[in-house]
Amino acid sequence: MVGTKKRKQLADDAPPAHIAPTSTNGTATMDLPSDDEDDAAIPDDEDAPVEEFPELDDRSDDDEEDPESDDIEHATDSNEENELDEEEYQTTDSEGDDSIHPFPRAKTIVSDITGVPKRVYPEIEPDYDSDSSTEDAPNRVGNVPMHWYDDLPHVGYSIDGKKVLRPARGDELDRFLSTVEDPSAWTSAFDKTAQTDRPLTAEELDIIRRLHANEVTDANYDPYEPTVEWFTGKGKEEIMPLSAAPEPKRRWVPSKWEKKKVMKIVRLIRAGKIIPHKPKASSHLPQFHNIWSSTSDSSAIALIPAPKPPLPTNAESYNPPEEYLPTQAEREAWEALDPEDREKDYLPQKYSSLRLVPAYEQFIKQRFNRQLDIYLAPRIQRKKLNIDPETLIPKLPSPNSLRPFPLYRSLRTTYGKGKARCMSVSPDGGWVVCGYEDGVVRLWETGVGREVKRWSFGGEKVEAVEWCPRGDVSFFVVGVGQNIHFIVPPFLPPSTFTLTKTLLAPPTLPPAPAVPSPVKWVSKYKDSTSTVTSESTAPTGYDVSKPILTLELPPGSSAARQISWHRKGDYFASVSNQPGGSNQGALWIHQLSRRHSQAPFKTMKGSVQLVLFHPTKPHFFVATQRYIRIYNLAEQKLLKTLMPGIRWISSMDVHPLGDHLIVGGYDKKLCWFDLELSDKPYKILRYHTRAIRSLHFHPTYPLFASSSDDGSIQIFHARVYNDLMTDPLIVPLKILRGHDVTEGLGVLGVRWVRGLPWLVSAGADGTVAVWCN
Amino acid sequence: MGRLRQKGKAGAAKAYVTRSAAVKKLQCSLADFRRLCILKGIYPREPRSRKKANKGSSAPTSFYYAKDIAYIAHEPVLKKLREHKAFAKKLSRALGRGEWTSAKALEENKPVYQLDHIIKERYPTFIDAVRDIDDALSMVFLFASLPSNARVSPSLVENCARLAAEWQLYIMHTKSLRKTFLSIKGVYYQAEVLDQVVTWLVPYQFTQSIPSDVDVRVMLTFLELYQTLLGFVLYKLYSNTGLVYPPPLDTRKDEGAAGVGAFQLQEASQMRPETSESGSKTVEVDGRKISSKSVRQAIKNIANADSTTAEIPADASVSGEQEDADEDFVPRPSKADNQVAQLPTLKSISILPTSLSTSLFSPYTFFISRETSRPIFEFLVRSFGGRIGWPASSGGGSPFEETDDSITHVIIDRPVVEKPNETPEERERRLRRKYVQPQWVVDCVNAGKILLEDLYAQGQTLPPHLSPFGEHEGAYDPVASAGDAMEVDDDSADESVEDAEETSPMAVPAVKAVNGDEAALRAAEIAAEAAGVDYATFNKELTRAKKRAGKEKAAADGEDRGEVDMNKMMMSNKQKKLYERMKHSQAKKATEKSKLEERKGQIGKEKKKRSREVDS
Repeated sequence: MVGTKKRKQLADDAPPAHIAPTSTNGTATMDLPSDDEDDAAIPDDEDAPVEEFPELDDRSDDDEEDPESDDIEHATDSNEENELDEEEYQTTDSEGDDSIHPFPRAKTIVSDITGVPKRVYPEIEPDYDSDSSTEDAPNRVGNVPMHWYDDLPHVGYSIDGKKVLRPARGDELDRFLSTVEDPSAWTSAFDKTAQTDRPLTAEELDIIRRLHANEVTDANYDPYEPTVEWFTGKGKEEIMPLSAAPEPKRRWVPSKWEKKKVMKIVRLIRAGKIIPHKPKASSHLPQFHNIWSSTSDSSAIALIPAPKPPLPTNAESYNPPEEYLPTQAEREAWEALDPEDREKDYLPQKYSSLRLVPAYEQFIKQRFNRQLDIYLAPRIQRKKLNIDPETLIPKLPSPNSLRPFPLYRSLRTTYGKGKARCMSVSPDGGWVVCGYEDGVVRLWETGVGREVKRWSFGGEKVEAVEWCPRGDVSFFVVGVGQNIHFIVPPFLPPSTFTLTKTLLAPPTLPPAPAVPSPVKWVSKYKDSTSTVTSESTAPTGYDVSKPILTLELPPGSSAARQISWHRKGDYFASVSNQPGGSNQGALWIHQLSRRHSQAPFKTMKGSVQLVLFHPTKPHFFVATQRYIRIYNLAEQKLLKTLMPGIRWISSMDVHPLGDHLIVGGYDKKLCWFDLELSDKPYKILRYHTRAIRSLHFHPTYPLFASSSDDGSIQIFHARVYNDLMTDPLIVPLKILRGHDVTEGLGVLGVRWVRGLPWLVSAGADGTVAVWCN
Repeated sequence: MGRLRQKGKAGAAKAYVTRSAAVKKLQCSLADFRRLCILKGIYPREPRSRKKANKGSSAPTSFYYAKDIAYIAHEPVLKKLREHKAFAKKLSRALGRGEWTSAKALEENKPVYQLDHIIKERYPTFIDAVRDIDDALSMVFLFASLPSNARVSPSLVENCARLAAEWQLYIMHTKSLRKTFLSIKGVYYQAEVLDQVVTWLVPYQFTQSIPSDVDVRVMLTFLELYQTLLGFVLYKLYSNTGLVYPPPLDTRKDEGAAGVGAFQLQEASQMRPETSESGSKTVEVDGRKISSKSVRQAIKNIANADSTTAEIPADASVSGEQEDADEDFVPRPSKADNQVAQLPTLKSISILPTSLSTSLFSPYTFFISRETSRPIFEFLVRSFGGRIGWPASSGGGSPFEETDDSITHVIIDRPVVEKPNETPEERERRLRRKYVQPQWVVDCVNAGKILLEDLYAQGQTLPPHLSPFGEHEGAYDPVASAGDAMEVDDDSADESVEDAEETSPMAVPAVKAVNGDEAALRAAEIAAEAAGVDYATFNKELTRAKKRAGKEKAAADGEDRGEVDMNKMMMSNKQKKLYERMKHSQAKKATEKSKLEERKGQIGKEKKKRSREVDS
C-alpha cells in the first residue's frame, strides 16, 4: 500500500495531462516492480496488448482529472486504489498464465498475399521441456498395443498425422540371412513401434551386461565410496555436553522399590508361605474337611437330581428260576435288535455255581451309558398317573335302564334286484314305502311285512321317497329322474281318499302364479269317477298304479336326490344333483296348495347336499359339502352357519324340539350341535368304521339312530333337557347288525316308526328290516 | 396400541440357549463345556416347543437354560480351565524350544482346580450328598478294579481302591448293609446310611478293558467329581461315627494283598463336637446315636408284633412240597440257630429291627475256599458280624488258619471230590464243619435269617437266587405262583369229576364266603368245623367255590364288556389315547407274566416226566 500511496501522491503532483502510459509506468518502476516487470515484458514481445492496456489507465486518469473537493478526491482516491488493486491482480494473473501457458502464443500479421491479418504460430523447437520425446521416432501412436495395427498396412501415425507404413519384412529365410550377413544382428532388438529390428546402443548393451552380471545398472555409481566424517574424527569431537542436567541419583543409589519387593518375598519365604521347591504330589490330593459344617447360601440353582437306575430283577440273577431263561427264538430276536432298541440290556443266563460266572462284558459300556444319561439327557419331572384305566371310561347309565329301544330284527323283506336306496314310514306308522335302485317302489305293512303294492318307474333309480306328514291325508312323493310323483296308496278309508284327492287333484285349480315357474305341475288324473270304475282297488275308481300328480323339474336338472317335507305338509323341498356342481335350479320349494314351485335362493355357495325344515320355526337348514346354513324363510336372511368340521356331509337330522341338530359325514364323524350354544359341535363322535349314511331322530322317544357303510346301525339314547344349564345326555345303547355290505355300501337309510320304538332300515343288500324292542 | 414385541426377545427364545450358543458364550471348547456340565451337574432341558426355543428352526439340538449357562459363566473352574489352556500353550512352546527348565517350572505350577465348592453347591446338605452317592460308588468300585494304563493312571486306581475300601470299612463298622444280589452283571449291595438307601454295583473280580466306543475322558471327569464327593462324604461319615479319617493304611499288609484289612479304623481320641447335624435328627442315648427313623421303626415293630403272630396259621396250610420252594416264607427251625425261629414271614422280616439281622453271622466263623471271591464274602460276613478267614492264596492278613477249630462254615464252590488219603483228624474236622456254597451266605443275608444249609451244601444243585429288591407290583412271582400253577393243573384234571359230584352241604356257605368278606369266611370255617369237615376238604371246597364264582363273574363281565366298549365312544380323543396306552402297558405286563407262568408249568411237567422215567 505504501507503493500505491506514493504513486497516488505522484499522480496528484503530476500535471493533469495526458500522460503516455510508458512514462507513467516508467515513473512507477521504482515502486512497483511487479508492474514494471509486466510492462517491461509485454512491450518487448507484443504491441497490441500494450496499446490496449493504457486505455484503462487513461480512464482512471480522467477520473483523477476533475478534482472538485477533497471529499471527492478522497473518494476517487479510494476508487483508484481499488482499481489499482484490481490491476495488480490482473497482472499477476497474466504473469502466472504466461509462465504456465504450454502453447506458443500466436502472432497476428497481415498476410502479404491477401492483406488480411492472420495468426501465425512460432516454429516448435523440440527440447527437453516439450512433452514430445527426444527421439525422432516416426511412429507417434504411443504406448498402445501394436496388434491393433495387425490387419492394417500402416503401423501408426507420424507427428504430422501421416500414416507410417509398415516396413517390409522378409520371410524366415530373409531373417536368417540377415542374421548371418549383418554382424550387428545379434546386438539388435525388435522395436515394436517401428516394427523393425534396431541395433542397441553401446549404453544399452552395457546396461544389459550389468543386469546380467547382477550389478548396479548405473555405471557411474560407486557403492564403495569412502565415508565422509562430518562429526567424528580428529578435531571434530564435541567437547560440551548436549544437556546440562545433573546426573540423577538413581544412577548410583540402589533401588528402594526393588528392595521392598525382594524383602516381601524374603519375608514370605521366612514365614513359610512360599516354599521354593515344594513337593507337588501331596498338593494334588484334595484335603477333606467337613464342608457341611456351615449352612450354605441358597444361591445355587435348583436342579432335579438324576433318577436312580432301576433295581435288578429276578431275571438278572446269576442263578434265576428256569422260566426266566430265554428260548432260542427270543435270544435270536434279542441279538438281532439294535442295542438301543432292546427292552433289557442283558439276556438272562443261568450258572450252576458262582465260580462259573464270567466278567460282564458290557459293564463299562453300561456305566458309561448311565453317565451319558446323567449329563446329556434332559430331565423332566412327570406325574405318574396311577389310576385304573377303566376309570377313564365315562360312567353312563346302563342301557337296560333306558328301555325301550330296538333290540332285535323282527322281520325282513327282501327284494333281490337292487339296493334299497330310500325308504319312508307313513305318519301313522302302519306303512313303509321303499324305493329301489331299479325304479321300483314297494309299499308294505310295517307289522307283517306283506307287500301291498308295487310301482315301477321304468328302470330309473328311485332317489327319494317321502310320506306327507299330514295326518288327514295320505300320500307320498317319489323322486325319480326329473320327476317328482305324488302317489296315493291303496286301501285308504274313503274320507281320507276324498280329502287326498281334493288336495292333489282339485276340481278347480288354484290361480296360476304371476311369475311362471319353470317347474311344471302335471295332473295325470282324469276325472274318472264317471268313466272308469274298473278293476282298480281304489275306492272311487282312481288308478293307483299311476301317480296322481307329477312335478316336472326343469329340463337339464337331474333326479331329485332328497325330498324334505315341512311339518304341516303343504310345503316340501327337493334337492337335485346339478350337472357341473352348479346350484342353479338344484333346490326347489314346492307349495302344494298353490301348485307353485320356487327356488328360494338365486345363488348358493357350495353344492347343496341336504335341506331340512325346522320343526317349529320358519327356519330352513341347508347343508353344503362342509357347512350348514340356517335361514329364516320368513325374514329371508341367513341366521347362522354351522361348522361341523366334516369333509363331506352325508346326512343330517334335527331334534323334534328343534334345538339340536345331528350331522353325519362320509368321514365317519357324527357331530351333535346345540343350536343355542355354538356354531361348533357340542360333541363329535367317531364310532362307525365306515361312512355314515343316514341319521334319524325318533319323533317321540328320546332316541336316535345312525347307519353306516360298515353295515351296522347304532342306537343312541339322546335326552335333551329344557333348562339351558344341563347338557344333553347321549348314551350309546345298541349296535344292530344284520345288513350285509355290498359294493362297499351298508345301510343306506334308517327311519323310526312314529309312536313305537321300532326302527326300519334299508340296506344296500336289497333288504329292508324292521327292528323291534 | 401396546409396545411392539420383537421376536426372540422374550419367552422360550430367551430362556433357552442351544449348546453351540452356550459354548460360544462361555468362550471355551466343547470338551471344556462338557467337563463343566458334568462337574456342575448342568443338564439339557426340553423346551415345550423346540421351534420356539430355537428361533423358528427345528434342527435337532440340545437346549440349556440360559440361566444355567449364566450360572456357570463365572465358575472358578472355568477360569482354571482357561488358565490350563494357556498353560498348555506355554508348555508346548517351552518343549518345542527345548527350554527344559522353564518347562519344568511351568509343569510345577500347573493350574489345578478344586471341586470343594462344587460339592457344597450341588449338595447343600449332607443328606443330599448321601442320597446321590450310588453312581459315585459304582464308578469308584469299577475303577478300583481296572488295570492302569496310559489313560487311567495308577494313582487314580489306587485312590479309587482306597475310597472303595474305606466305604466298605464304614459299612462293616456300622453294620448298615441290608441286601445283596449276585447278578450276572456283578454284585449289587444295598446299605442304609443315615436312613438313605444306597445301592451300588461291584463288578466281579476280572480284568476289564475299556471298550473303544467309550469316551474315557467323560468317565474320568465323572470320576474326578465322584472321588471328591466320596472323600467329603466319607470324612463326614467317619467323623460322625467317631473314627479318624482317612484311616491309616498299613503298607506292609497292603503289599500282602490284605485288601480291606490293610486299613485300621481308629477311634478319634477326642470326639470333636460336630457343630450341627444337618438333615437327620439324632439323639444320643447311652452313647448310641438313635435317629428319628429308628425310633419310628421300633414303634412300627411293636405294632406289627401281634399281626405277625396272627398270620402264622394262615401260612401254615401250604403243602409240604411247597415249603421247599418258598424258603423265605416258612419258619424252619434250623439246628444251628434258634434265635431267628420267631421270624415267620418275609413281610415281618423286612420291617425287623436292624439289630436282629445285622448280627446274623456273629455266632459263626467262616473260612473261604480259595476259588471263592474273597472281597465279596469278607465284606458280607464281616458286615453281619461273622468272623472270616481265608487261605494265603487269597491274600494275606487272614485272622486264622484253615485248621482253626472255631470254623463252623466253609464257603466252598467246588464239586465234591473223594479224598482217599484223609487223615482222621482231617475227616473229623470235615464232619464238624458245614460246607456251603456261596449263595447260601447271600440268601441268608437277604432272608435276614440263617437258612438250612442242606439245600446249599457242597455239590448240591442250588435253588434259584432271587432278587431281594423285588419286582414291580403285579409282576410274576416265581415263589408264590409255584403252588398256583400246580393247583390249576390239578384242578383242570379233575374238573369233570368235581362237576359231576354233588355239591357238598357246606359248599354253600363257602361260596357265600368267597363273595363276602373275611368275617364271612371265618364264619364258614367255623361252620365247617362244627359239621366235622376236616380243614383240607374245606379248603378244596373253598377253592372250587371260588372258581365257580369267578366263572360266573367272568360271564357277567362279558356282558358288561359290551356296554363298557360302547361307553368308550363317548371318551374324548385324548382320553382314548391315554386309555389305549395304559391298556397296552397292562397287557404287556400281563403277557409277560402269563408267559413266565406257562413256561414254569411246562418246566414242572417236564421235570415230573423225567423223574417218572427215572423211577420206572
